[in-house]
Amino acid sequence: MKKIYLHPLPIRIWHWINAVSFIVLFVTGLQIRYRDMMSLMKFRDAVDLHNVVGFVLIFNFIIWLVYYIFTGKIRIYIPPLSVKKFVTGCIRQARYYGYGILLGEENPHHSTPENKFNPMQQMAYLAIMVLLIPAQLVSGLFLWDIKQFAGPISLVGGLKVVDSVHVVLFLFFLSFIFVHIYLATLGHTATAHIKAMFTGYEEIPEGHGH
Amino acid sequence: MFEDTEHKAGKGTLGIVILGPLFGLLYVCFLPLIALMTLLLALPELAVAKKAEIVDNSGACMTCHSSREFSKTFKNREKMSVFVNADDFKGTVHAFLNCTDCHQKVSLSAHPGRSSYDSREAFILAASAACRNCHSDTQLKAKPVHAFLTNKTNGPPCIDCHGSHSVKRSTAWKNTLSDNQYCLTCHSQKLTKTLGNGEKISLFIDPSPLKASVHSKHACSDCHAGFSRTAHPTRDFSDKRSRTLAIAEACKKCHADKHSAVRESIHFKLISEGNNKAPGCTDCHGFHNVGPKATYETLSGVPCKGCHEDVFKRYQKSVHGLAKAKGHTGAPLCSSCHFAHEVKISAMNERIKTACLGCHKEAEAKHEKWLPNAGLHLSAVACAACHSPNTAKGIQLRLYDQNTDKPFTEEQVAKLLGAEYQAILQRISAHGGEGLESDELWDIVRKLNDKGTNAKVTFLGRMDVSDGAESHQLALKKNAVRDCEQCHTSESEFFKSVTVAVVKADGRLQNFKAKPEVLGSVFSVVSLKQFYVLGSTRLKALDWIGILMVFGGLSVPLAHITLRVLTSPIREAKRLNKMRKEGKR
Repeated sequence: MKKIYLHPLPIRIWHWINAVSFIVLFVTGLQIRYRDMMSLMKFRDAVDLHNVVGFVLIFNFIIWLVYYIFTGKIRIYIPPLSVKKFVTGCIRQARYYGYGILLGEENPHHSTPENKFNPMQQMAYLAIMVLLIPAQLVSGLFLWDIKQFAGPISLVGGLKVVDSVHVVLFLFFLSFIFVHIYLATLGHTATAHIKAMFTGYEEIPEGHGH
Repeated sequence: MFEDTEHKAGKGTLGIVILGPLFGLLYVCFLPLIALMTLLLALPELAVAKKAEIVDNSGACMTCHSSREFSKTFKNREKMSVFVNADDFKGTVHAFLNCTDCHQKVSLSAHPGRSSYDSREAFILAASAACRNCHSDTQLKAKPVHAFLTNKTNGPPCIDCHGSHSVKRSTAWKNTLSDNQYCLTCHSQKLTKTLGNGEKISLFIDPSPLKASVHSKHACSDCHAGFSRTAHPTRDFSDKRSRTLAIAEACKKCHADKHSAVRESIHFKLISEGNNKAPGCTDCHGFHNVGPKATYETLSGVPCKGCHEDVFKRYQKSVHGLAKAKGHTGAPLCSSCHFAHEVKISAMNERIKTACLGCHKEAEAKHEKWLPNAGLHLSAVACAACHSPNTAKGIQLRLYDQNTDKPFTEEQVAKLLGAEYQAILQRISAHGGEGLESDELWDIVRKLNDKGTNAKVTFLGRMDVSDGAESHQLALKKNAVRDCEQCHTSESEFFKSVTVAVVKADGRLQNFKAKPEVLGSVFSVVSLKQFYVLGSTRLKALDWIGILMVFGGLSVPLAHITLRVLTSPIREAKRLNKMRKEGKR
């Protein structure tokens, strides 16, 4: 059994802070929005917790950004610049998830620290990290103090637009989490990827890889 | 003769000796009696002598009426002295008259009895009628005031101005009076005047409130311009209202600042629209009894309650009213928040918040300490909404111009939409009790922003107490709403009452009912783009999108797992095949 050091400590810490924050924000967000249907905690507590954890997530994002830019690792998120390479990569990966995996084929992508994500992951995570997460953080920040951010809120089309963006992104992240967790169980064993996210080391069974 | 005389004298001496003491005794005994009888016999003669000093045949009357001791009691038990001061009478123009020239029904044989008249007033009226025997209508009507008085059925009796026995020409005494006393000689009488529409007004001026008023040092003519000792123009008001409004012009002479403040008020606006209940100066301040400012700042003296009784009752029960009743001078009264002259409607008006914060200067800081987004709450929730607990509340939507940061008024809407606005109004009124639909709000906003006027109009929501009167029943701080859940849930009752309030330039509102669904409709992204309350006004459409997305997210792993389970025999076969191959190898 070969071991690859795939997840450096800062990234693991970042990931798990993210994970806990997401869950807390999901729960408190639902509590704030659906007061009439659930009462896990008081509205006030839900708002306070949501605000605090929201800021945790903002700082966490900044840490991620700074870490990846300064270490240059950000390039693992950038899909191949060659369209052909990218498209074929995507098709190959999609074929694997939709067909190959069912037939017991080997995952065509082998994660290394330099090439961590398959092209589909690159596309998804780039969109998430560069577009969706910042959009969620910024819309959350606006909603945190709509008086202070009245100008930008008005600029993007009003409070209802900002709120709708925040909610739609929340719904996206919630549904993404299901897929994310499921995909995490598709390592060579069900817990392989998950263990790696704790230890940093991804186990590669002998005979795999190139 | 002498002898006889002597004889007689001798006898007389005896007589004297005998009778002298007898007469002496009689004299001593009866002297007081004789004196009394002599006096009694002489009295009529004395009276005649007095009479002769006045007029010959009045002697009998003065027998009694020269005494200050006699008085007359009328049927209503009023008393009146019947004393006649002969000295005064002698100096009058009537000195040549006999008593019976005026008191024609009185003679020695027919003297008014104890209960001939109901009251003093009735007697005076009857007595005054005598004047008209000599003083003809023509003579009286030559002067306008007399003409006015003689035409009146209940005009004051002559003697009220001219006196009775000490009768004087009015000029003789009027010129000795101060200007105000001059006016009051008539206007302290119970005069009334009938106006064009039949309304009666009193022309009576009670001198004592006038003296106690802040205007006590003013001459009547300071306000009643054009009136003087020599000029008394006739004023013909069609009704009380037009008189009230005309009087305001008199007040303006000195109180120009207040007059221009009033022009900014809702009261003035109503007056100029023809409302005949909105108050003019005198409706609040009274006429001649204008009190000092402090008068109007007491619970008993505040004039607003005259019309706004329902509001005043709520106020009395409020923390402010109770404090005022306890004598806290700092406790606010109507004018503290609504202003005394530039009276404003407070609903939906930032001024009322300014008024609250005017006294509660620390309120914003105190709210900041416990209330998240305190500034936002203070601008979107009326103070009364939380501080008048147990009142019905609702959401009021008003058009708001984001460019100017001010309400977009009805006048602006009408100007922008023109005839279309009337069509909208008609459509709204056709709704009856139904309430506006969300697409209609969207349509209004769209039309307002479409016109290329650079307007950036949207509906802004605000929570307020539904009943204006109830909003005055402010409670103690400890009873104010602090519970977030009262509002921040879509089940909150407050979000089920939605009103579209079109603000007029003067602050008045035209309210239209709207359906509660407008708050969470897709259309609200445009029409209510700046109004969002956590938990209460969520877009219903997003709930469905959410269900779809979560279901979609869940279905990916579920479908994949299913496929994997279904295809597991293939992989198992493949694995066995592989093992077999490896085994062979």
